[in-house]
Amino acid sequence: MSRIGVFTCHCGENIGATVDCAKVAEMCKHVPGVAHSVDYKYMCSDPGQRMMQEAIKEHNLDGVVVAACSPRMHEPTFRRAVSNAGVNPYMCEMANLREHCSWVHEKNDATTQKAADLIRVLVEKIKHNTPLYPIKVPVTKTAMVVGGGVAGIQVALDIANGGHKVILVEKSPSIGGHMSQLSETFPTLDCSQCILTPRMVEAAQHPNITLMTYSEVEKVDGFIGNFKVTVRKKARKLDEKLCTGCGLCIQKCPNKKISDEFNEGLGTRTAIYVPFPQAVPNRPVIDTLNCTFYKTGKCKVCEKVCPTNAIRFEQEDELVTIDIGAIVLATGFKLMKTEAFPEYGYGKHKDIIDGMQFERLASASGPTAGVMKRPSDGKEPETVVFIACSGSRDRSKGVPYCSKVCCMYTAKHAMLYKHKVHSGKAYVFYMDIRAAGKDYDEFVRRAIEEDDVKYIRGRVSKIYEEDGKLIVKGADTLMGGEPVEIKADMVVLATAVQSNDRSEELAQTLHVSYDTYGFFAEAHPKLRPVETNTGGIFLAGACQAPRDIPESVAQASAAASKVLGLFSQDQLTREPIVAVVNRQAGPTYSYCVGCFLCQTACPYQAIEQEQILARNGEVIKTIARINPGLCQGCGTCVATCRTKAIDLQGFSNEQLYAEIMTL
Amino acid sequence: MEALKQKAKELLQKGDVKAVLGYAVGTGNVRRPHFARTPEQVDRLVLDEKCTQNLATYLTKHEVKHLGKVAVVALPATQRALLQLVAERQLRDDAICLLAMDGTEVKVLPSGAAVEQHLALKTDAMPTADKAMIEKLMAMTREQRWAYWQQELSRCVKCYACRNSCPMCYCEHCTMDCNRPQWVPVASHALGNLEYHMVRAMHLAGRCVECGECGRACPVGIPVHLLTFFAEESTAKQFGQRAGHSTKLDYALSTFKPDDKETFIR
Repeated sequence: MSRIGVFTCHCGENIGATVDCAKVAEMCKHVPGVAHSVDYKYMCSDPGQRMMQEAIKEHNLDGVVVAACSPRMHEPTFRRAVSNAGVNPYMCEMANLREHCSWVHEKNDATTQKAADLIRVLVEKIKHNTPLYPIKVPVTKTAMVVGGGVAGIQVALDIANGGHKVILVEKSPSIGGHMSQLSETFPTLDCSQCILTPRMVEAAQHPNITLMTYSEVEKVDGFIGNFKVTVRKKARKLDEKLCTGCGLCIQKCPNKKISDEFNEGLGTRTAIYVPFPQAVPNRPVIDTLNCTFYKTGKCKVCEKVCPTNAIRFEQEDELVTIDIGAIVLATGFKLMKTEAFPEYGYGKHKDIIDGMQFERLASASGPTAGVMKRPSDGKEPETVVFIACSGSRDRSKGVPYCSKVCCMYTAKHAMLYKHKVHSGKAYVFYMDIRAAGKDYDEFVRRAIEEDDVKYIRGRVSKIYEEDGKLIVKGADTLMGGEPVEIKADMVVLATAVQSNDRSEELAQTLHVSYDTYGFFAEAHPKLRPVETNTGGIFLAGACQAPRDIPESVAQASAAASKVLGLFSQDQLTREPIVAVVNRQAGPTYSYCVGCFLCQTACPYQAIEQEQILARNGEVIKTIARINPGLCQGCGTCVATCRTKAIDLQGFSNEQLYAEIMTL
Repeated sequence: MEALKQKAKELLQKGDVKAVLGYAVGTGNVRRPHFARTPEQVDRLVLDEKCTQNLATYLTKHEVKHLGKVAVVALPATQRALLQLVAERQLRDDAICLLAMDGTEVKVLPSGAAVEQHLALKTDAMPTADKAMIEKLMAMTREQRWAYWQQELSRCVKCYACRNSCPMCYCEHCTMDCNRPQWVPVASHALGNLEYHMVRAMHLAGRCVECGECGRACPVGIPVHLLTFFAEESTAKQFGQRAGHSTKLDYALSTFKPDDKETFIR
């Protein structure tokens, strides 16, 4: 016979005002299996907990029902208290009298009766409870950071400074990401590369950081603390150890007219190239799609000029599998292209450019060495129109969300232009100015008031070319929608920030959820913003949503602190609320028939195959096994299993059945 | 017929298979399953329009598995059942050897891929009578349909013949046998019968190979196969996935695709 204690809490007035707690305690005394039943004003208080612990000892209780608030609030409190009194914590259950009864009902007898019923249900459940013990899983203390932009670099540095190994995987030949392409940064107008490159070098030289540039994550197996990540090291077509980065091959490469990705198509590069002068690592790659040797079978100039014979034309991609304990995704974003805008000429006007192209034009390391020249004819533009919200906040043609950074960078662009071309005129078409952030609004005011940038609130309906000028037709909604026409020399579209190419594919590889737009989803929008729903995988930067640099860096450090917290333990302790596959004596061995329909249903990839072997090693049966390290206890497999071979510990079929049949 | 016997004998003589499972004439001129283990026993095989039973049901039984590789005289529904059994890992792909009739010609289908290819040439056609009956039921009001099934299922004696004859009901331990806890009552009263048939239809949604064996096996003539047919057709319509067309598992009820329709949520 069970000896169960029932402790009914008044929660001050929260429960006590509508439920007659003294009567509930009295009613529960008569439930079979209940050995002790009392009520108290605040069970969670110190005296309340002490009272419970003393009652456990005095009445020799083997199970406890605390009838109080939601288990989300105080289950850990009471389980700890019960545990300290020598009873297994999983023999303690909470009846939610507050949210499920007192808050939602009027004060009357039926409410009190319902409270007693909620307790009765759990008394029956506890009769079927078994002691459960926490699950321990080991931790591999190496982190992988996917994406080598400013967020990824920050995560890597923070984890490395915390004393753990980090592998930084970047798909392009150099780390640095979009920040390395920017000219200046808002709101301080300091040079982007000047502040980023020291971090890049620090990451490259840090003894705890291994850079894997020109590499991509191919496959992820395993679970928190115990991932196995397969990385594809794309062939650079040269021996990185022999190469000194002298750049002779780049100088001599005859194929010089390839559109340069780093300069957003505004400049050219060679077939063997480093993306930009401060690239880390400073090792070139051969672009096999454009290299003359790969196209025609002849050339090999780079091989001839290389002083260390580092060129390897026959080099192939390499797959490396690494044991990893935690993964941080920092894969960044991409910008919508100007081709997406029919009303702005589908990107066919050379002088209608996007924000990132403007960054390159304004950058000292850019194709014009920072001199303001428009792409079509290299003339200095006398009038420049900036259009904010190009594609953002546009339900019909673009994306419905705000891209967040455009208001600020448009103000910055207009300012940079005015600083470079003093006589020039800058116009900004905007919908709203969203400049929430430290010194952000001041920055926009400065553009308007000190640098004389003309802000026009309204949208642009059309841009077309006439006599070598771009005619921008819009409306000024602050002037009652009066039509505005500006003859511009160059137009800069602040195009929408979008999730990066292949982000959905990566999310599926890592089993991380993502939203409609391909941005990775956080576990909780407020309280768990850098964690994903998959244990051990964290997020940093613009792969989650549009973010500016300070936010990306802050989030990166937050993700790093989560990883360091994880790595501070030698073993992870997990709640034993996991599914288990039934096992029993032969000839059945298990109710599981091994159809593995549960395997596709499991959102956490926790279901593996297990072979039941005879003594001679012959396979008798192949059944499902649930990896307790991965299982999150959602119960989907339990519902999928036709033979009821799977049960969720702590919420077993028998426990639930007992609860239902009590009512 | 002779060609079939010839092939069956060949397979046995060469030792490719340990037995050939087909149909023979039983008591009262019915067709019953027949395991031919020697070339002589092959002579008793028959194949005519009276042969309807889905023989795939036998292949997952312990006794048959112990026999070794068995060649099966396979009707289209049997072929579908075999593919689904491979997809659900109840049979190994290399354990498949089907004897399928293609007109008068006998084809040996030695693998799941061969069965897939063979089946791809055929179109699924639910028997017109069944199709008409489902349409008739769906044209009824909810109350009429409820009354119809109440009436039909009241005759069920829970002999579980429908379950035992079904090729996809291969579980060694059926939910119906669970007694800790006893989710579905054992007695054949109105509630128990309804629960049993609902559970069976749900367990076969997306898995039913539409052979209609359950309906034929019912000793009191309840058209139980209409329930699973309808469940299967609904899954096919909603998710574009049909059971028994591939050896790759694509079970609509345990997978999620971004373009899944949600019209069934009301």
